[in-house]
Amino acid sequence: MPDRFLRGLAVFTDVYTRSLPLLGRSRKQAGPLERALRLEVVDRRVEAEDVVSIQMSTSDGSALPQWFPGSHLDLHLASGRRRQYSLCGDPADRDSYRIAVRRITDGGGGSVEVHEELTPGRHVVVRGPRNAFPFVPHGSALFLAGGIGITPILPMVRAADRLGMDWRFVYTGRSRATMPFLDELPAGRVLVRPDEEFGVPTAADLLADAPRDGAVYVCGPTPMLATVRAGFGDCAASALHFERFAPPPVVDGKPFEVQLGRGGVVLQVPADRSALEVIREQLPGVAYSCRQGFCGTCRVRVLDGVVEHRDRRLTDRQRAEGEALVCVSRADGGRLVLDL
Amino acid sequence: MSALPEQPDRLLLHARDVQFDWSQLPMHWVPGEPFSTHLLNVLHLLLPEGERWFVRTFQEALPLIGDDRLREDVLGFCGQEAVHAEAHDGVLRHLPSKGLDPTPFTDQVGWIFSRILGEKRQLTGRARHEYLVERLAMIAAIEHVTALLGHWVLNSPGLDRARTDPTMLDLLRWHGAEEVEHRCVAYDVMRHFDGRYFRRVRAMLIAGPVLTIMWIKGVRFLMANDPELPPGSKPRWRDFRSAAKRGLCPSGGSLLRSLARYFRPGYYPDQEGSTAQAVAYLAQSPAARAAH
Ligand code: FES
Ligand SMILES: [Fe+2]
Ligand SMILES: [Fe+2]
Repeated sequence: MPDRFLRGLAVFTDVYTRSLPLLGRSRKQAGPLERALRLEVVDRRVEAEDVVSIQMSTSDGSALPQWFPGSHLDLHLASGRRRQYSLCGDPADRDSYRIAVRRITDGGGGSVEVHEELTPGRHVVVRGPRNAFPFVPHGSALFLAGGIGITPILPMVRAADRLGMDWRFVYTGRSRATMPFLDELPAGRVLVRPDEEFGVPTAADLLADAPRDGAVYVCGPTPMLATVRAGFGDCAASALHFERFAPPPVVDGKPFEVQLGRGGVVLQVPADRSALEVIREQLPGVAYSCRQGFCGTCRVRVLDGVVEHRDRRLTDRQRAEGEALVCVSRADGGRLVLDL
Repeated sequence: MSALPEQPDRLLLHARDVQFDWSQLPMHWVPGEPFSTHLLNVLHLLLPEGERWFVRTFQEALPLIGDDRLREDVLGFCGQEAVHAEAHDGVLRHLPSKGLDPTPFTDQVGWIFSRILGEKRQLTGRARHEYLVERLAMIAAIEHVTALLGHWVLNSPGLDRARTDPTMLDLLRWHGAEEVEHRCVAYDVMRHFDGRYFRRVRAMLIAGPVLTIMWIKGVRFLMANDPELPPGSKPRWRDFRSAAKRGLCPSGGSLLRSLARYFRPGYYPDQEGSTAQAVAYLAQSPAARAAH
């Protein structure tokens, strides 16, 4: 079936691959792409009700990696928790990073730990910065922030202002007292719009001033994001930027077991975690990507057990052949034996 | 205040769950331009198999990558490539309804990535490792090409002028934008295993010509089997020059110049294309915006 060219290519590749060891030894390029940084808290300020900002520097005064508006840091807290917080300082300041955190008492405990433990003089390990909310530094833009969602937006607004972009900014929140950085906003087309005074904004309220064929950047609580995404089609702007967060929590899951290969270790998957998360703790090199059941990279073959498929990707045939996407799919109790 | 870097960088990559509906796609989706349509259709013939092979190869390399940041990049990259493969596969699945069965050609492509470049169980030890690294270097070379095509398609007013089917144009530009967005990953992975100039250049010297030959064969196949063209239709070099002149494909000169840049000792993929432009397109792409 393969034509002459391909058959020739196959012969060439076979000889070539066999001679690869003769063509010299691979030499790894030195150094990781990024190192974890151990930073010292140099300042802590109350910025609003339940919101503190934390300023961090290296202890030896060396310059920090550069960042661009929209970037976040990955904080490795002493308890072992890992949390991402947007950088909200000045990107031109290479000596320190600033984050701001709202205390959420009934959350996972990360924000409480930041509030209580990260006081001046304390150290914290961070990774990054990484950017999951990149900002395009030209054209016209409407910025929308809700509450603590101001953190990635503030550096964008200031950059837009400095770069002479055509920008406007709508900042919402419960009440003025809960909204941080009101005193740091650049003068210009800023609308501070607390719900207490104006009521909860509709999509039309938020997007009224969207620039024709320009961009909208939004960061805020999930309902606000949903409102803006739903109403975006009716506004004049053409580009919508928002940060995509971690996968949604498991809904209606039951605990079950996975076994890594016949006769392999058995792991317990609790009702509120995915099989993938549990497997990763055992096998850090396991492949995955979207964690939402659409990319297919976490596909494994199920050797035994009944799968409750929850993905949007596999065909009926693939399922019948025993494939499953372990980032979302589960079992209704019982055990799945995976080919891992 | 000192200047900002002019491009966002250190992007955290993630796949976008795009969907396309091809039921209304005409055979010649660059209207009246069968050559240009088929030149770009070759993407659908090559990419599903090729990008799945990227993912398989990277997954083989993944447990050997000790650098956390690089591993994160690889995971994001694989998700994007897996979705790309699926999206182009959707177009392939649509072609038979237009009277063109792509399987004689895609079977050959599949054979390349399974038989020629697939797992070779007979290899062991160092030979096995060097074979993995060689494939990673091939992927880096091909990713230079996909990034250059991505950059081109994001800057291709000729396709707009020709009233290219908007859904197809969105697929090409969404894919092109993600190629630009993740253009450093394969190169970083290669360097993580082997940073030697010789390795990188050698891989391009093999991958470049093979890709070119497969592309030409692909256009020939499509034109010969397009039921809407007279039997025996063949692509001609002057079709290519004319399409390039009207901005319907990159010009031969620009392709050669870009390939030549890969041979510069100081090459790094971020010198090509613009992350800001890619990010801007992804924020306005109808498919990417509708994705979760
Ligand atoms: S990680 Fe994408 S489908 Fe599971
Ligand atoms: Fe791709
Ligand atoms: Fe790619």
